[in-house]
Amino acid sequence: MIEQAAYKRRWRPSRYWLAALIGGALFAVLVASSALSIALDSIPHRASLFGLPAIGLVVMATVFGLRAFRDREPAVRGRDLMVAGVLFGLGICSWLLVLDVFTFTQAAGPGVAAVSALACLPTTGFGLLVVRRLDRNEKEPWRLVLVAAAWGAIVATSLVIWAEALWDEGLGTRLVPGPALDVSSAFSAGIFEELAKGVAVVLLYLTMRDEFDDVVDGIVYGAAVGFGFNFMESITYMTHLYALYQPEGTSLALAAAAGQWYQRQVLGLFLGHATYTALVGAGVGVARQLRGLHQRLLAIASGFLVAIAAHFAWDAWAQFFPVSPASPLAVAEVHLRILVMVGPFTTVLLLLLGMGLHVEGTALARQLELEAEAGRGAVLPSEVAVLTSPWRRLGARLAAMARGGPVAYVRLARLQTAQIHLAMERWHRERQETDAPPAAEEALRRRVLELRAATASG
Amino acid sequence: MLALGAAGLLILVLGLVVFLRFAPLGQRTGLAARVIGVYAYDPVQRTVAGPAATRFPRTQPFAARVSWASLPSGVVVGATWYDSLQDPAGSVGPAPAARLAAGDGLVPEHVPPGLHGNLPGTYTLLVLRYADGRPVEILARTAVVVEHGP
Repeated sequence: MIEQAAYKRRWRPSRYWLAALIGGALFAVLVASSALSIALDSIPHRASLFGLPAIGLVVMATVFGLRAFRDREPAVRGRDLMVAGVLFGLGICSWLLVLDVFTFTQAAGPGVAAVSALACLPTTGFGLLVVRRLDRNEKEPWRLVLVAAAWGAIVATSLVIWAEALWDEGLGTRLVPGPALDVSSAFSAGIFEELAKGVAVVLLYLTMRDEFDDVVDGIVYGAAVGFGFNFMESITYMTHLYALYQPEGTSLALAAAAGQWYQRQVLGLFLGHATYTALVGAGVGVARQLRGLHQRLLAIASGFLVAIAAHFAWDAWAQFFPVSPASPLAVAEVHLRILVMVGPFTTVLLLLLGMGLHVEGTALARQLELEAEAGRGAVLPSEVAVLTSPWRRLGARLAAMARGGPVAYVRLARLQTAQIHLAMERWHRERQETDAPPAAEEALRRRVLELRAATASG
Repeated sequence: MLALGAAGLLILVLGLVVFLRFAPLGQRTGLAARVIGVYAYDPVQRTVAGPAATRFPRTQPFAARVSWASLPSGVVVGATWYDSLQDPAGSVGPAPAARLAAGDGLVPEHVPPGLHGNLPGTYTLLVLRYADGRPVEILARTAVVVEHGP
């Protein structure tokens, strides 16, 4: 009775079916894409050899999947299915990575591709670190942030390659060079790339509801997907230009590749794919906290629309007004045009992030106070002020480390994280946004008490 | 979020308007030009030599021969090579087809300034019909590959 009163739709498995449907459709597209890549000889057949580990992973996933169907114990079956799913996902990703490497980097050779990747790793890592830290109330787990980035780098790039090629073949080749062709290319990039990246955020929203709380989380996941996509795209452009100019001399080829690196990994690191896909994430994040299905769909559609528009606007602008290398103001123009065209979208995104952080912070403070007032021991009144401030949380952890070393630091960090999870769960329950049974909140509380006991004993 | 979505929709509609402004419907005339072939080209003598080919070393200039006489004489046409970065790399016209037909019919490509040879990759030749000084229709298209190499 209490559960029914608390939740109008207590258990909503339909979102898992929807996620499975989207995943199945994407898998079919990726299989078709792989087949086309090999059939049209854009991928050398030796790729099959490098794909053997992927086949091994899929075989192992099949074994675990079959074992899951044989198991009668639900817990064992669930675990086997989880392992099968992870292995299958790894297999698909590793195969796509093989295809990506051959498709995007073979012109310049593996050495140049490796150097380009190494050059892009620190900047991409920096971007991920900054965006994750912006979520100052409750940071998203690294595993999901990295999965999002891997989707952007491997899956999204594989999804768009044939979509954009088919668009170009169907429409681009019929258009005369000039504004119409530029607009067509900008539409193609905006629509296909944002859909391919944004679907990752939608899947996280559908399947990882516990780690997808609000607009802030949506922005973090969206930006992570964008960083991943930007990583692979940067390598593609760097290796392509290096291969084009290499016959003219290594120094010219290096300069061309370095120019791409600066434009995409410095200037466009935040003002580019990260902004666009974070806008998708913002829409999905807003939908996370809306009640009605229509409202949610509108919010998600709005996120996609503004992301596609931002991407389209930049691509069209860059092609309409190319910067001439001969211009004495070329360097200033390169910087100004990205600020003028992408800057406003990034500013709107930062406003959404700021508002989301404010709402989230206020709600967490209130829930922590309520939990402390309840006197169940999970949150003490004296801890509320510390838990609501990232700097004071850090200060408390550093003080713990000074007293008990790194182990004390880690234990307190785990305790603080669990306490914030509890407050977040309370917030979602209050807003009727959770589909976990009420026992989940009690389990979180028990977990906090266990961690507190461990912290105290240490 | 809805306001942002509406703003996004407005930007995309503006893009569509620009697209239709520069690619209006009903520009097809049904005309088709014929590219006879692409040949190795001597820029000094301004002549082609050898058989038609689809692949060239990067140090070998090349030119396409277009049959301008197959087009109505008053139609304003031109042809442009685009290199592997989609930048223009040599053109003839726009001019009435009759005037171009009076010449040798060759469309040579040019090595990008500052480089010793062509950029590797696909070079595309577009034969275009012009109206009001703007290209409006593709009458023919051909492509050749410039090989990687010294």
